[in-house]
Amino acid sequence: MWEQLFEMIFKPDFLFSVIRITSPILFAALAAVVAEKAGVTNIGLEGIMSITALFGTLISYWTQSWAVGVLGALIVGIALALLLGFFALKLKTDIILGGIALNMIGGGGTIFLLYLFTGLRGNTGELTTPEMLIPQVNIPLLKDIPVVGEILSGHSLLTYIAFFMVFLTWLMLYKTSLGLNIRAVGENQNAADSVGVSVVRIKYIALGISGALAGLGGAYMSMYYSRSWNSGMIAGRGFIALAAQAMGQGEPTGSMWSSLLFGLANALKNKMEGMQGMSSYLVASIPYVVTVLGLVIYAVATIRRVKKTRRAQNAMTAPAGEEK
Amino acid sequence: MRNKRMFLFEAARGFAAILLALAVAVIFIALCTDDVGGALEQMLLRPLFAKNGTFNANSLWVVLSRMIPTIFTGLAVCVMFSANQFNLAAEGGVMLGGFLATLVGIYVPMAAGLHLVVCLLVGAVAAALTMLLPALLKVKLGASEMVSSLMLNYIIMYVVLHFLNNNFADRSKGSTQTFPFLQTAAVPDLVPNTDLTWGFVIALVFVALVAVFLFRTRWGYAIRMIGINQAFSKYSGMKVGSVIVLSQVIGGFLAGLGGGIEVLGRYSTFLWRELPGYGWTGVTIAILAKNNPLMVPFAAFFMAYLERGCELMRTNAGVPAEMLDIIQAVIFLFFAAEQFLARYRQKLVVKGAREEMKQAFDSEAAAKGGNA
Amino acid sequence: MPQSEYVVQMKGITKVYPNGIAANQGVDFNVRRGEIHALMGENGAGKSTLMKMLFGLEQPTEGEIIVNGETVNLSSPTVAIAKGIGMVHQHFMLVPSLTVAENMVLGMAPKKKGLFIDMDKAIAITEEYAKKYNLHVDPKAKVVDIPVGMKQKVEILKALVRGAKILILDEPTAVLTTQETAELFRELVQLKEQGFTIIFISHKLNEIKQITDRLTIMRGGKSMGVYNTAEISMEEISRLMVGRDVILTVEKDKAAPTDEVLRVENLEYTNDWNKKMLDRVSFSVRKGEILGVAGVEGNGQRELVDMLFNLNVPDSGTVTVNGKSIVGLPQRKIRDAGVSLIPEDRMLYGIADRGTIEDNLISNRIYQKEYNKGLLFDMKAIHEMSDRLIEDYRVLCKSRNQQVKMLSGGNIQKVVVAREFSSGPVLIIADQPTRGIDVGATEFIRKKLVELSRAGAAVLLVSADLNEVMELSDSLIVMNGGHIAAYFEDTSALTDEEMGEYMLGLKRQSDEEIGKVLYAK
Repeated sequence: MWEQLFEMIFKPDFLFSVIRITSPILFAALAAVVAEKAGVTNIGLEGIMSITALFGTLISYWTQSWAVGVLGALIVGIALALLLGFFALKLKTDIILGGIALNMIGGGGTIFLLYLFTGLRGNTGELTTPEMLIPQVNIPLLKDIPVVGEILSGHSLLTYIAFFMVFLTWLMLYKTSLGLNIRAVGENQNAADSVGVSVVRIKYIALGISGALAGLGGAYMSMYYSRSWNSGMIAGRGFIALAAQAMGQGEPTGSMWSSLLFGLANALKNKMEGMQGMSSYLVASIPYVVTVLGLVIYAVATIRRVKKTRRAQNAMTAPAGEEK
Repeated sequence: MRNKRMFLFEAARGFAAILLALAVAVIFIALCTDDVGGALEQMLLRPLFAKNGTFNANSLWVVLSRMIPTIFTGLAVCVMFSANQFNLAAEGGVMLGGFLATLVGIYVPMAAGLHLVVCLLVGAVAAALTMLLPALLKVKLGASEMVSSLMLNYIIMYVVLHFLNNNFADRSKGSTQTFPFLQTAAVPDLVPNTDLTWGFVIALVFVALVAVFLFRTRWGYAIRMIGINQAFSKYSGMKVGSVIVLSQVIGGFLAGLGGGIEVLGRYSTFLWRELPGYGWTGVTIAILAKNNPLMVPFAAFFMAYLERGCELMRTNAGVPAEMLDIIQAVIFLFFAAEQFLARYRQKLVVKGAREEMKQAFDSEAAAKGGNA
Repeated sequence: MPQSEYVVQMKGITKVYPNGIAANQGVDFNVRRGEIHALMGENGAGKSTLMKMLFGLEQPTEGEIIVNGETVNLSSPTVAIAKGIGMVHQHFMLVPSLTVAENMVLGMAPKKKGLFIDMDKAIAITEEYAKKYNLHVDPKAKVVDIPVGMKQKVEILKALVRGAKILILDEPTAVLTTQETAELFRELVQLKEQGFTIIFISHKLNEIKQITDRLTIMRGGKSMGVYNTAEISMEEISRLMVGRDVILTVEKDKAAPTDEVLRVENLEYTNDWNKKMLDRVSFSVRKGEILGVAGVEGNGQRELVDMLFNLNVPDSGTVTVNGKSIVGLPQRKIRDAGVSLIPEDRMLYGIADRGTIEDNLISNRIYQKEYNKGLLFDMKAIHEMSDRLIEDYRVLCKSRNQQVKMLSGGNIQKVVVAREFSSGPVLIIADQPTRGIDVGATEFIRKKLVELSRAGAAVLLVSADLNEVMELSDSLIVMNGGHIAAYFEDTSALTDEEMGEYMLGLKRQSDEEIGKVLYAK
């Protein structure tokens, strides 16, 4: 059994699927990173992804253009995140509760909206046309390299964008004044405020970016990954993204690695489900178990690090004679 | 006087939130159907009243029976939110409690009466123990209970499904479900031939128990104080970590109990193939009840009524029942919004303060006059 | 006289806060261009309020502010910055994870290609200013990693880069080590030589003497006059600063202390920023007496109290109550040993603001048999207790069910005091028990403290309020720089002048004299 498993894992198509599965989680994780950097916990990512997945499909169906659909999902994502911002920043709804409300709309609300717009119940399978799907991209030269080409070439356009977004998010956070303001606001509001940076405005912007990224993640799910929208398709990816953010220490690159870890767990799950002697359900729980383990490891590491720095500081301060 | 006025204001604010949500509902209904009046009638009146306007008892039993699991999850969330713990695993707790209660109901025969109690306890205790995971991670490692409890929901679901499919499935049935549990494990009907079981009474008993726990015991008190101010609680001499764990364990117990009662009352086998959603409704109910257990039944009734109304609307007016989630979200958002209509509250406070000052002044003047 | 002599003129400034407290009353404050001007006074003298108005954080109720000859309306810090005023707050306004250069340019970052921060330019600006004003900082280091002294330089540079010509420094040396302080002074003198005007808030006399040209002394919200530093003696400053305008007397019998209750020996603590906050602190408090701890705030009093209630852990030393060590015990055990604490930070530790008055009265006794019947609270007993305490301590409220945050400051403190005093304590630690509350409540609480001590409790009274600590204490220690600077067995003959000299570090008793506070066993 294990032999069979190893054989599968070390095939290019497995690594290909890891990347494919990681992409939407990565979008959402970056969304969580940006929001959290500004000091806002966006637990509504799950709902935003579900709703934007639906609108991406619907808009691409109406326009018969995947590009317009993706753009639509992105805009809807921004709008939803700003709505959350309005409630949290203006009306002072607890942001966690506001996020839960978005998730409610993402749950049953989307089924209703789908019916409202199309009369369909629960999924859009029958609407799908090739024009609505995000195209795959074969990268010249790269695709001809054995193994590497098989793994890295032929993904959806959004997959490449997702990984490129890691770089862009990093660039935005660390190389632009917006990023500087976001980080300042998230860490010390008073400091930002005292030099004339508008805290509320920065939080709105960060939430908007977060919504846009989640929107791309949603579009990826319905317009590429599943090739149509169906209820429950997000299946906790928005929540996993929050964990990926935490585990990645809130940094774009770190969150990419933890997203890849969850992608790996998920791909493993997909492979193992079909195997003899494996319980598909237990296997299905792997990504969530890995997430919890990841959180634990991260928390332990943080505590260790804090203790270590304290000890180091104390060692520096204590005169040699007074060592206890 | 000021307190009474504030209470009225809070009530009016809640009412305004509900009205807003209904207004949103009307807009959506209008988009779905031409007969808005008919659909609204289905949603708002038909859960309790027949077409000719007479009271429909059977329909009431349906609504009341829907409240059973959500009262439990509502209570569970109340306890956890009171301690300021955003544990969202009531959802998983319900499923686990329901599943384990069913297993005991099938495989461990016991005397009538005792059997049901044991089934429910096993389910509830198991769910309570599961909550140790997010609770201890929070207290010992500082890991967010919110993220870990969300993950826990999925883990519980898949583990339950695993055992359901691989170990306990009744293969003679078309869909995956367990064998039927023994009659001794069934929650007896309160009103014969309806879904309204004694579970409803148990739920109300637990409302009272949780209220007593939160407001009349030292542990409940500690939970509430920790929810308000942890530093104060520590300084006062409470064991903050233990109490945080306790709040989540009790939340798990209540959710698990609710799951057991629901499955052993409504069905004859365990047949959930996904998380039942009661945990999330519980969050809404706790918000509507403002974490007060005594308000939970009212909030649960409101939600059950709406749910039933939406179902009837689907059957009879062709509007999808899932609209409920949108209505729920809108109510939820405005209920939790501190600043919603806050300007008016501020005016009330100022007015109250002024009146008080005037009163104090008057009485002082009167006293002086008396002395002179 | 040409107007340009004064760069800042504040005329007849009165500030009344919404809660009715008049923090400044008709204060005149003038600063000459290019001088280092000290603003001195005890805690609560109104210095910070005056400076907050100059930096636009608060607006005066009455009075006029003239900057560079122009009457200005300083409605926000942004306006003040535009007028060339910069302030270095006691609590740094820095973002720890950002680099020094990033903190410097926050909100005004230089850009390149329209979008990106020109980090090289930011670093260049930082280096340029650092060099120009001889304030050495590492532009690329993260603020979290740099020492406190450098953080302060960053704050000063931040003000300079925004065009400040007038710098307000709020107790800049409070967080610095001796070496860092010396360095800061050199830098400030250099800034002065380059034409900057510096307003320096402090109550450390030797510092003032070292670097300031003139000084304004405040007391009780009023100005006590402006002096040339060279022409006034330290004793004179001390006398002007420390003194009581109104002496609220509390009648009390002579103490008859008996057994030792609290014994603290050789307590040492160095904080996370490397500053020694407690240095070989030893004292004891006996049954039936009030031991006062006087001192300007920030001289180790807070740390001392935290150690006594396990809210912080000492590096070394022992604390015993009736012979039993309480170091590291959970608060419940400390309370079981008979210790009560009126915390300095009333809103953080003292109360649960959304709870009812009753909730706040029972918090320290919920485990006691008296208030429980088996598993349940004995509500009757609790209600009776609440009503009795509300009456005994004259808490003005509608009922025991009123939310405690709806009460006035004085009544909130009465709730805290009622809870802490009524638990039958053998030792009461009262940390700033009457700060910021009305006269009625103050008098009431002081009387209660005396009453309890005469009834046999040991009382440790920590207060920055000279009137309070001198009137109430039977004997008294003075803290300065983490040390006990003086011990007075009898406070009756003590003068304000003498106190001031010890509080402000001008004098220190011999170890032998101080050692007497540790009563031999």
